[in-house]
Amino acid sequence: MRAFELVTAKDSRHAVALLAEHSASSKVRVIAGGTDLMADLHFSSHVPDVIVDISRAEDLKNIAMTGEGLSIGALVTHTQIMRSPLIRDMFPALVDAAHTIGAVQTRNLGTLGGNLVTGVPSMDSGPTLVALEAVVSIAGPAGRRQVPLAEFWLGPRKTVLKPDELLAEIIIPKQNLSKPTHFLKFGLRKGQALALVNVAASFRVDWDKNIFVAPRIALGAVAPKVIRALKAEAYLEGRTVTPEAMAEAGRVAVGDAKPISDFRASAEYRKDLVAVLTKRALEGAYELAKAKRYGEEQ
Amino acid sequence: MITVTINVNGEKRTASVPPETSLLRMLRDNLNLTGAKLGCDVGDCGACTVIVDGKTVNSCLMLAAQADGRTVLTIEGLATADRLHPLQKSFENYGSLQCGFCGPGVLMSAKALLDENPSPTVPDIRDALGGNLCRCTGYTKMIEAIQVAARAMRGEPAEKTA
Repeated sequence: MRAFELVTAKDSRHAVALLAEHSASSKVRVIAGGTDLMADLHFSSHVPDVIVDISRAEDLKNIAMTGEGLSIGALVTHTQIMRSPLIRDMFPALVDAAHTIGAVQTRNLGTLGGNLVTGVPSMDSGPTLVALEAVVSIAGPAGRRQVPLAEFWLGPRKTVLKPDELLAEIIIPKQNLSKPTHFLKFGLRKGQALALVNVAASFRVDWDKNIFVAPRIALGAVAPKVIRALKAEAYLEGRTVTPEAMAEAGRVAVGDAKPISDFRASAEYRKDLVAVLTKRALEGAYELAKAKRYGEEQ
Repeated sequence: MITVTINVNGEKRTASVPPETSLLRMLRDNLNLTGAKLGCDVGDCGACTVIVDGKTVNSCLMLAAQADGRTVLTIEGLATADRLHPLQKSFENYGSLQCGFCGPGVLMSAKALLDENPSPTVPDIRDALGGNLCRCTGYTKMIEAIQVAARAMRGEPAEKTA
Protein backbone atom coordinates (compact mmCIF):
# COMPACT_ATOMS: atom_id res chain seq x y z
CA MET A 1 0.00 0.00 0.00
CA ARG A 2 1.36 3.42 -0.92
CA ALA A 3 1.95 5.91 1.87
CA PHE A 4 -0.50 8.62 2.78
CA GLU A 5 -0.78 11.15 5.53
CA LEU A 6 -3.27 10.25 8.26
CA VAL A 7 -5.08 12.89 10.30
CA THR A 8 -7.58 12.11 13.03
CA ALA A 9 -10.76 14.10 13.62
CA LYS A 10 -11.99 14.60 17.19
CA ASP A 11 -15.57 15.25 16.12
CA SER A 12 -17.59 16.08 13.00
CA ARG A 13 -16.78 19.78 13.14
CA HIS A 14 -13.07 18.99 13.32
CA ALA A 15 -13.47 16.50 10.46
CA VAL A 16 -14.99 19.17 8.23
CA ALA A 17 -12.18 21.58 9.14
CA LEU A 18 -9.60 18.92 8.26
CA LEU A 19 -11.34 18.21 4.96
CA ALA A 20 -11.40 21.90 4.11
CA GLU A 21 -7.75 22.28 5.04
CA HIS A 22 -6.49 19.34 2.98
CA SER A 23 -8.91 19.05 0.07
CA ALA A 24 -7.82 22.33 -1.51
CA SER A 25 -4.40 21.00 -2.47
CA SER A 26 -4.52 17.21 -2.11
CA LYS A 27 -6.62 14.17 -2.84
CA VAL A 28 -8.41 13.34 0.39
CA ARG A 29 -10.43 10.33 1.47
CA VAL A 30 -12.33 9.71 4.69
CA ILE A 31 -11.96 6.52 6.70
CA ALA A 32 -14.64 5.35 9.13
CA GLY A 33 -14.96 1.58 9.55
CA GLY A 34 -12.48 1.03 6.75
CA THR A 35 -14.23 -2.01 5.30
CA ASP A 36 -14.51 -0.46 1.85
CA LEU A 37 -11.60 1.97 1.87
CA MET A 38 -8.91 -0.44 3.09
CA ALA A 39 -9.83 -2.95 0.40
CA ASP A 40 -9.96 -0.11 -2.16
CA LEU A 41 -6.45 0.99 -1.29
CA HIS A 42 -5.16 -2.44 -2.26
CA PHE A 43 -6.87 -2.62 -5.61
CA SER A 44 -6.94 0.99 -6.70
CA SER A 45 -4.11 3.02 -8.10
CA HIS A 46 -5.75 6.16 -6.71
CA VAL A 47 -4.29 6.16 -3.25
CA PRO A 48 -5.13 9.49 -1.61
CA ASP A 49 -2.51 11.89 -0.31
CA VAL A 50 -4.38 12.39 2.94
CA ILE A 51 -6.85 10.24 4.85
CA VAL A 52 -9.08 11.82 7.48
CA ASP A 53 -9.93 9.29 10.19
CA ILE A 54 -13.38 10.08 11.56
CA SER A 55 -13.76 6.84 13.55
CA ARG A 56 -13.35 8.72 16.85
CA ALA A 57 -16.03 11.34 16.17
CA GLU A 58 -18.41 10.36 18.97
CA ASP A 59 -21.04 12.90 17.88
CA LEU A 60 -21.70 10.77 14.78
CA LYS A 61 -22.47 7.58 16.70
CA ASN A 62 -25.95 8.26 18.07
CA ILE A 63 -29.33 6.75 17.32
CA ALA A 64 -32.02 9.11 18.60
CA MET A 65 -35.53 10.46 18.12
CA THR A 66 -35.49 14.13 17.21
CA GLY A 67 -38.11 16.65 16.14
CA GLU A 68 -37.45 15.64 12.53
CA GLY A 69 -37.76 11.87 13.00
CA LEU A 70 -35.36 9.05 13.71
CA SER A 71 -31.77 10.18 13.43
CA ILE A 72 -28.98 7.68 12.84
CA GLY A 73 -25.41 8.98 13.00
CA ALA A 74 -23.23 8.20 10.01
CA LEU A 75 -20.80 6.22 12.18
CA VAL A 76 -23.42 3.87 13.61
CA THR A 77 -22.23 0.36 12.73
CA HIS A 78 -24.37 -2.35 11.15
CA THR A 79 -24.09 -4.30 14.41
CA GLN A 80 -25.41 -1.30 16.36
CA ILE A 81 -28.36 -1.07 14.00
CA MET A 82 -29.11 -4.75 14.53
CA ARG A 83 -29.07 -4.28 18.31
CA SER A 84 -30.80 -0.92 18.69
CA PRO A 85 -34.09 -1.48 20.58
CA LEU A 86 -35.51 1.65 18.92
CA ILE A 87 -34.73 0.42 15.39
CA ARG A 88 -35.76 -3.16 16.13
CA ASP A 89 -39.12 -1.89 17.27
CA MET A 90 -39.80 0.67 14.54
CA PHE A 91 -37.95 -0.69 11.51
CA PRO A 92 -37.22 -4.42 11.60
CA ALA A 93 -36.44 -4.08 7.87
CA LEU A 94 -33.35 -2.03 8.74
CA VAL A 95 -32.25 -4.78 11.11
CA ASP A 96 -32.77 -7.43 8.42
CA ALA A 97 -30.87 -5.33 5.89
CA ALA A 98 -27.95 -4.78 8.27
CA HIS A 99 -27.82 -8.50 9.00
CA THR A 100 -27.31 -9.34 5.32
CA ILE A 101 -24.21 -7.15 5.06
CA GLY A 102 -20.83 -8.92 5.01
CA ALA A 103 -20.17 -10.95 8.12
CA VAL A 104 -19.90 -10.28 11.86
CA GLN A 105 -16.42 -8.75 11.63
CA THR A 106 -17.34 -6.37 8.83
CA ARG A 107 -20.65 -5.48 10.49
CA ASN A 108 -18.75 -4.60 13.66
CA LEU A 109 -16.50 -2.25 11.72
CA GLY A 110 -18.61 -1.03 8.83
CA THR A 111 -20.86 1.98 9.27
CA LEU A 112 -24.21 2.98 7.83
CA GLY A 113 -22.71 6.21 6.51
CA GLY A 114 -19.85 4.34 4.88
CA ASN A 115 -22.22 1.95 3.13
CA LEU A 116 -24.17 4.89 1.70
CA VAL A 117 -21.14 7.01 0.76
CA THR A 118 -19.35 4.15 -1.00
CA GLY A 119 -22.42 4.09 -3.17
CA VAL A 120 -22.25 0.71 -4.85
CA PRO A 121 -25.63 -0.02 -6.48
CA SER A 122 -26.01 -3.31 -4.57
CA MET A 123 -25.58 -1.75 -1.13
CA ASP A 124 -27.92 -3.36 1.38
CA SER A 125 -28.55 -0.25 3.50
CA GLY A 126 -29.98 1.69 0.59
CA PRO A 127 -33.37 0.25 -0.39
CA THR A 128 -35.04 0.33 3.04
CA LEU A 129 -33.92 3.90 3.68
CA VAL A 130 -34.98 5.04 0.20
CA ALA A 131 -38.38 3.39 0.65
CA LEU A 132 -38.70 5.27 3.94
CA GLU A 133 -37.82 8.53 2.16
CA ALA A 134 -34.79 9.09 4.35
CA VAL A 135 -32.94 12.37 4.18
CA VAL A 136 -29.21 12.75 4.72
CA SER A 137 -27.66 15.60 6.61
CA ILE A 138 -24.35 16.71 5.13
CA ALA A 139 -21.84 18.70 7.16
CA GLY A 140 -19.73 21.25 5.32
CA PRO A 141 -17.75 24.41 5.98
CA ALA A 142 -20.95 26.52 5.82
CA GLY A 143 -22.92 24.24 8.16
CA ARG A 144 -25.40 21.50 7.43
CA ARG A 145 -27.49 20.88 4.32
CA GLN A 146 -30.07 18.17 3.75
CA VAL A 147 -30.57 16.05 0.65
CA PRO A 148 -33.11 13.29 0.06
CA LEU A 149 -31.17 10.02 0.11
CA ALA A 150 -32.57 9.06 -3.30
CA GLU A 151 -30.83 12.16 -4.73
CA PHE A 152 -27.61 11.61 -2.77
CA TRP A 153 -26.15 9.26 -5.40
CA LEU A 154 -25.24 10.40 -8.87
CA GLY A 155 -24.23 6.93 -10.09
CA PRO A 156 -22.12 3.97 -9.03
CA ARG A 157 -19.71 5.16 -6.33
CA LYS A 158 -20.61 8.79 -7.04
CA THR A 159 -22.41 11.07 -4.59
CA VAL A 160 -23.25 14.75 -4.29
CA LEU A 161 -20.64 15.13 -1.52
CA LYS A 162 -18.10 17.84 -2.25
CA PRO A 163 -14.47 17.21 -1.25
CA ASP A 164 -14.91 19.30 1.91
CA GLU A 165 -18.21 17.72 2.95
CA LEU A 166 -19.05 14.81 5.22
CA LEU A 167 -22.15 12.66 5.53
CA ALA A 168 -23.15 13.25 9.14
CA GLU A 169 -26.58 11.85 9.78
CA ILE A 170 -29.39 9.83 8.21
CA ILE A 171 -32.90 10.92 9.11
CA ILE A 172 -36.08 8.90 8.63
CA PRO A 173 -38.79 11.56 8.55
CA LYS A 174 -41.44 11.74 11.24
CA GLN A 175 -44.35 10.81 8.97
CA ASN A 176 -42.72 7.46 8.21
CA LEU A 177 -41.92 6.37 11.76
CA SER A 178 -42.99 2.75 12.27
CA LYS A 179 -44.28 2.56 8.70
CA PRO A 180 -44.57 -1.16 7.91
CA THR A 181 -41.55 -1.99 5.75
CA HIS A 182 -39.96 -5.20 4.60
CA PHE A 183 -36.51 -5.81 3.10
CA LEU A 184 -35.39 -8.79 1.04
CA LYS A 185 -32.05 -9.59 -0.52
CA PHE A 186 -31.14 -12.30 -2.93
CA GLY A 187 -27.44 -13.18 -2.96
CA LEU A 188 -25.62 -16.31 -4.01
CA ARG A 189 -24.77 -17.17 -0.40
CA LYS A 190 -26.07 -16.14 3.00
CA GLY A 191 -22.79 -14.67 4.21
CA GLN A 192 -20.44 -12.25 2.49
CA ALA A 193 -22.36 -12.07 -0.77
CA LEU A 194 -23.38 -9.02 -2.74
CA ALA A 195 -27.05 -8.70 -3.66
CA LEU A 196 -28.10 -9.79 -7.12
CA VAL A 197 -31.22 -7.83 -6.32
CA ASN A 198 -32.45 -6.30 -3.10
CA VAL A 199 -35.85 -4.77 -2.51
CA ALA A 200 -37.64 -2.84 0.20
CA ALA A 201 -41.40 -2.28 0.24
CA SER A 202 -43.21 0.06 2.58
CA PHE A 203 -46.84 1.12 2.86
CA ARG A 204 -49.65 1.83 5.26
CA VAL A 205 -53.15 0.43 4.94
CA ASP A 206 -56.39 2.38 5.17
CA TRP A 207 -58.23 -0.36 7.05
CA ASP A 208 -61.70 1.11 6.49
CA LYS A 209 -61.27 0.91 2.73
CA ASN A 210 -58.62 -1.84 2.75
CA ILE A 211 -56.44 0.10 0.31
CA PHE A 212 -52.70 0.82 -0.05
CA VAL A 213 -51.66 4.21 1.28
CA ALA A 214 -48.32 5.78 0.31
CA PRO A 215 -46.72 2.64 -1.12
CA ARG A 216 -42.98 2.97 -1.60
CA ILE A 217 -40.80 0.39 -3.30
CA ALA A 218 -37.02 0.68 -3.66
CA LEU A 219 -34.81 -1.58 -5.76
CA GLY A 220 -31.07 -2.16 -5.47
CA ALA A 221 -28.53 -3.66 -7.87
CA VAL A 222 -30.75 -3.11 -10.91
CA ALA A 223 -29.73 0.43 -11.88
CA PRO A 224 -26.67 2.70 -11.47
CA LYS A 225 -28.01 3.54 -8.01
CA VAL A 226 -30.79 2.49 -5.66
CA ILE A 227 -34.04 3.52 -7.34
CA ARG A 228 -37.71 3.87 -6.50
CA ALA A 229 -40.06 1.64 -8.50
CA LEU A 230 -42.33 4.53 -9.36
CA LYS A 231 -44.57 2.68 -11.81
CA ALA A 232 -45.24 -0.06 -9.28
CA GLU A 233 -45.93 2.53 -6.59
CA ALA A 234 -48.39 4.34 -8.84
CA TYR A 235 -50.09 1.03 -9.62
CA LEU A 236 -50.64 0.31 -5.92
CA GLU A 237 -51.64 3.76 -4.64
CA GLY A 238 -55.27 3.62 -3.53
CA ARG A 239 -55.74 0.07 -4.84
CA THR A 240 -57.45 -2.62 -2.76
CA VAL A 241 -54.95 -4.75 -0.83
CA THR A 242 -55.03 -8.22 -2.38
CA PRO A 243 -52.39 -10.89 -3.10
CA GLU A 244 -53.08 -10.35 -6.82
CA ALA A 245 -52.34 -6.63 -6.56
CA MET A 246 -49.02 -7.38 -4.86
CA ALA A 247 -48.07 -9.92 -7.53
CA GLU A 248 -49.01 -7.48 -10.28
CA ALA A 249 -46.98 -4.71 -8.61
CA GLY A 250 -44.00 -7.07 -8.78
CA ARG A 251 -44.49 -7.46 -12.53
CA VAL A 252 -44.89 -3.70 -12.96
CA ALA A 253 -41.69 -3.10 -10.95
CA VAL A 254 -39.74 -5.04 -13.60
CA GLY A 255 -40.45 -2.09 -15.90
CA ASP A 256 -38.82 0.24 -13.38
CA ALA A 257 -35.61 -1.82 -13.24
CA LYS A 258 -32.74 -1.41 -15.67
CA PRO A 259 -30.40 -4.22 -14.68
CA ILE A 260 -27.17 -5.17 -16.39
CA SER A 261 -25.74 -8.63 -17.00
CA ASP A 262 -22.50 -9.40 -15.21
CA PHE A 263 -20.67 -12.44 -13.85
CA ARG A 264 -23.11 -12.71 -10.93
CA ALA A 265 -26.34 -12.82 -12.89
CA SER A 266 -27.93 -11.97 -16.23
CA ALA A 267 -30.20 -8.96 -16.63
CA GLU A 268 -33.04 -11.33 -17.44
CA TYR A 269 -32.56 -13.26 -14.20
CA ARG A 270 -32.41 -10.02 -12.23
CA LYS A 271 -35.72 -8.93 -13.77
CA ASP A 272 -37.34 -12.17 -12.67
CA LEU A 273 -35.94 -11.58 -9.20
CA VAL A 274 -37.40 -8.06 -9.11
CA ALA A 275 -40.91 -9.42 -9.75
CA VAL A 276 -40.66 -12.14 -7.10
CA LEU A 277 -38.84 -10.14 -4.43
CA THR A 278 -41.12 -7.11 -4.83
CA LYS A 279 -44.19 -9.27 -4.37
CA ARG A 280 -42.68 -10.98 -1.31
CA ALA A 281 -41.49 -7.69 0.19
CA LEU A 282 -45.02 -6.29 -0.18
CA GLU A 283 -46.42 -9.42 1.49
CA GLY A 284 -43.91 -9.03 4.32
CA ALA A 285 -44.84 -5.40 4.84
CA TYR A 286 -48.51 -6.37 4.87
CA GLU A 287 -47.89 -8.97 7.59
CA LEU A 288 -46.22 -6.24 9.64
CA ALA A 289 -49.10 -3.85 9.01
CA LYS A 290 -51.59 -6.45 10.23
CA ALA A 291 -49.51 -7.26 13.31
CA LYS A 292 -49.24 -3.56 14.10
CA ARG A 293 -52.98 -3.06 13.74
CA TYR A 294 -53.66 -6.05 15.96
CA GLY A 295 -51.17 -4.68 18.52
CA GLU A 296 -52.88 -1.29 18.52
CA GLU A 297 -56.31 -2.80 19.06
CA GLN A 298 -55.15 -4.63 22.17
CA MET B 1 5.55 7.62 11.65
CA ILE B 2 2.74 7.28 14.14
CA THR B 3 3.06 6.05 17.70
CA VAL B 4 0.41 3.53 18.59
CA THR B 5 -0.22 2.08 22.03
CA ILE B 6 -2.62 -0.79 22.49
CA ASN B 7 -3.51 -3.03 25.38
CA VAL B 8 -3.00 -6.42 23.80
CA ASN B 9 -3.66 -9.65 25.68
CA GLY B 10 -3.52 -7.72 28.95
CA GLU B 11 -0.22 -6.04 28.21
CA LYS B 12 0.44 -2.46 27.14
CA ARG B 13 2.50 -2.42 23.94
CA THR B 14 3.69 0.52 21.87
CA ALA B 15 5.03 0.67 18.34
CA SER B 16 6.01 3.36 15.90
CA VAL B 17 4.50 2.57 12.49
CA PRO B 18 3.92 4.26 9.11
CA PRO B 19 0.34 5.64 8.88
CA GLU B 20 -0.77 3.10 6.29
CA THR B 21 0.01 0.18 8.65
CA SER B 22 -2.97 -2.06 9.40
CA LEU B 23 -3.56 -3.37 12.91
CA LEU B 24 -2.72 -6.82 11.53
CA ARG B 25 0.68 -5.71 10.24
CA MET B 26 1.46 -3.99 13.50
CA LEU B 27 0.54 -7.10 15.52
CA ARG B 28 2.61 -9.37 13.31
CA ASP B 29 5.58 -7.24 12.30
CA ASN B 30 6.02 -4.91 15.25
CA LEU B 31 4.71 -6.86 18.20
CA ASN B 32 5.68 -10.36 16.99
CA LEU B 33 2.16 -11.62 17.54
CA THR B 34 1.94 -13.79 14.44
CA GLY B 35 -1.13 -15.78 15.51
CA ALA B 36 -3.52 -13.62 13.50
CA LYS B 37 -2.87 -14.57 9.89
CA LEU B 38 -2.55 -12.50 6.75
CA GLY B 39 -4.79 -14.19 4.20
CA CYS B 40 -6.66 -12.06 1.72
CA ASP B 41 -5.81 -8.68 3.36
CA VAL B 42 -9.17 -7.25 2.20
CA GLY B 43 -11.64 -8.51 4.79
CA ASP B 44 -12.99 -11.61 3.06
CA CYS B 45 -11.23 -14.58 4.67
CA GLY B 46 -11.30 -13.75 8.40
CA ALA B 47 -7.88 -15.29 9.12
CA CYS B 48 -6.85 -11.98 10.69
CA THR B 49 -9.82 -11.82 13.09
CA VAL B 50 -9.03 -10.34 16.51
CA ILE B 51 -11.27 -8.91 19.21
CA VAL B 52 -11.12 -5.14 19.73
CA ASP B 53 -13.01 -3.75 22.71
CA GLY B 54 -15.08 -6.93 22.87
CA LYS B 55 -15.98 -7.11 19.18
CA THR B 56 -14.44 -9.16 16.40
CA VAL B 57 -12.89 -7.21 13.57
CA ASN B 58 -10.82 -7.98 10.50
CA SER B 59 -7.52 -6.56 11.71
CA CYS B 60 -6.45 -6.13 8.08
CA LEU B 61 -9.22 -3.55 7.60
CA MET B 62 -8.36 -1.46 10.65
CA LEU B 63 -5.52 1.01 10.62
CA ALA B 64 -3.15 0.51 13.54
CA ALA B 65 -3.76 4.16 14.40
CA GLN B 66 -7.48 3.45 14.75
CA ALA B 67 -6.69 0.87 17.45
CA ASP B 68 -4.60 3.34 19.48
CA GLY B 69 -5.70 3.27 23.12
CA ARG B 70 -7.99 0.29 22.63
CA THR B 71 -8.02 -3.23 24.04
CA VAL B 72 -7.11 -6.04 21.67
CA LEU B 73 -7.34 -9.78 22.23
CA THR B 74 -5.53 -12.10 19.83
CA ILE B 75 -5.27 -15.88 19.72
CA GLU B 76 -2.11 -15.61 21.82
CA GLY B 77 -4.23 -14.29 24.68
CA LEU B 78 -6.70 -17.17 24.67
CA ALA B 79 -4.72 -19.90 26.44
CA THR B 80 -2.71 -19.56 29.63
CA ALA B 81 0.72 -21.13 29.99
CA ASP B 82 -0.69 -24.30 31.53
CA ARG B 83 -4.22 -24.50 30.16
CA LEU B 84 -5.89 -24.28 26.77
CA HIS B 85 -9.10 -22.31 26.45
CA PRO B 86 -12.11 -24.69 26.41
CA LEU B 87 -12.65 -23.81 22.74
CA GLN B 88 -9.08 -24.76 21.86
CA LYS B 89 -9.38 -27.99 23.84
CA SER B 90 -12.61 -28.81 22.09
CA PHE B 91 -11.21 -28.04 18.61
CA GLU B 92 -8.32 -30.37 19.46
CA ASN B 93 -10.64 -33.15 20.64
CA TYR B 94 -12.87 -32.93 17.61
CA GLY B 95 -10.17 -32.56 14.98
CA SER B 96 -11.75 -29.28 13.92
CA LEU B 97 -8.63 -27.97 12.22
CA GLN B 98 -6.37 -29.56 9.64
CA CYS B 99 -3.96 -27.03 8.16
CA GLY B 100 -4.96 -24.60 10.86
CA PHE B 101 -4.46 -21.37 8.91
CA CYS B 102 -8.02 -20.20 9.53
CA GLY B 103 -7.95 -21.45 13.14
CA PRO B 104 -6.88 -18.30 15.00
CA GLY B 105 -9.63 -16.31 13.29
CA VAL B 106 -12.27 -18.99 13.74
CA LEU B 107 -11.43 -19.34 17.43
CA MET B 108 -11.66 -15.59 18.02
CA SER B 109 -15.03 -15.48 16.27
CA ALA B 110 -16.21 -18.40 18.40
CA LYS B 111 -14.88 -16.78 21.57
CA ALA B 112 -16.70 -13.51 20.84
CA LEU B 113 -19.88 -15.46 20.12
CA LEU B 114 -19.77 -17.37 23.42
CA ASP B 115 -18.93 -14.21 25.36
CA GLU B 116 -22.21 -12.70 24.19
CA ASN B 117 -24.31 -15.83 23.79
CA PRO B 118 -23.36 -18.78 26.03
CA SER B 119 -25.99 -21.04 24.45
CA PRO B 120 -25.84 -20.49 20.69
CA THR B 121 -27.96 -22.47 18.28
CA VAL B 122 -26.37 -23.98 15.17
CA PRO B 123 -27.68 -21.09 13.04
CA ASP B 124 -26.15 -18.66 15.56
CA ILE B 125 -22.80 -20.43 15.20
CA ARG B 126 -23.01 -20.47 11.42
CA ASP B 127 -23.78 -16.75 11.43
CA ALA B 128 -20.83 -16.10 13.75
CA LEU B 129 -18.47 -18.04 11.45
CA GLY B 130 -19.85 -16.43 8.27
CA GLY B 131 -16.75 -14.25 7.99
CA ASN B 132 -14.22 -17.04 8.46
CA LEU B 133 -13.30 -19.10 5.42
CA CYS B 134 -11.95 -22.61 5.88
CA ARG B 135 -10.78 -24.41 2.77
CA CYS B 136 -9.76 -27.80 4.14
CA THR B 137 -11.52 -29.12 7.24
CA GLY B 138 -14.93 -27.65 6.61
CA TYR B 139 -17.24 -26.25 9.20
CA THR B 140 -19.13 -29.26 10.61
CA LYS B 141 -16.46 -30.25 13.10
CA MET B 142 -15.97 -26.63 14.13
CA ILE B 143 -19.66 -26.25 14.86
CA GLU B 144 -19.63 -29.47 16.91
CA ALA B 145 -16.58 -28.34 18.85
CA ILE B 146 -18.12 -24.94 19.60
CA GLN B 147 -21.31 -26.58 20.90
CA VAL B 148 -19.28 -28.87 23.16
CA ALA B 149 -17.10 -26.01 24.41
CA ALA B 150 -20.19 -23.92 25.09
CA ARG B 151 -21.63 -26.74 27.16
CA ALA B 152 -18.37 -27.11 29.10
CA MET B 153 -18.19 -23.35 29.69
CA ARG B 154 -21.74 -23.40 31.03
CA GLY B 155 -20.57 -26.06 33.49
CA GLU B 156 -22.74 -28.77 31.99
CA PRO B 157 -21.50 -32.35 31.65
CA ALA B 158 -20.05 -33.37 28.30
CA GLU B 159 -22.35 -35.18 25.96
CA LYS B 160 -21.30 -37.36 23.11
CA THR B 161 -22.22 -35.68 19.84
CA ALA B 162 -20.26 -37.20 16.98
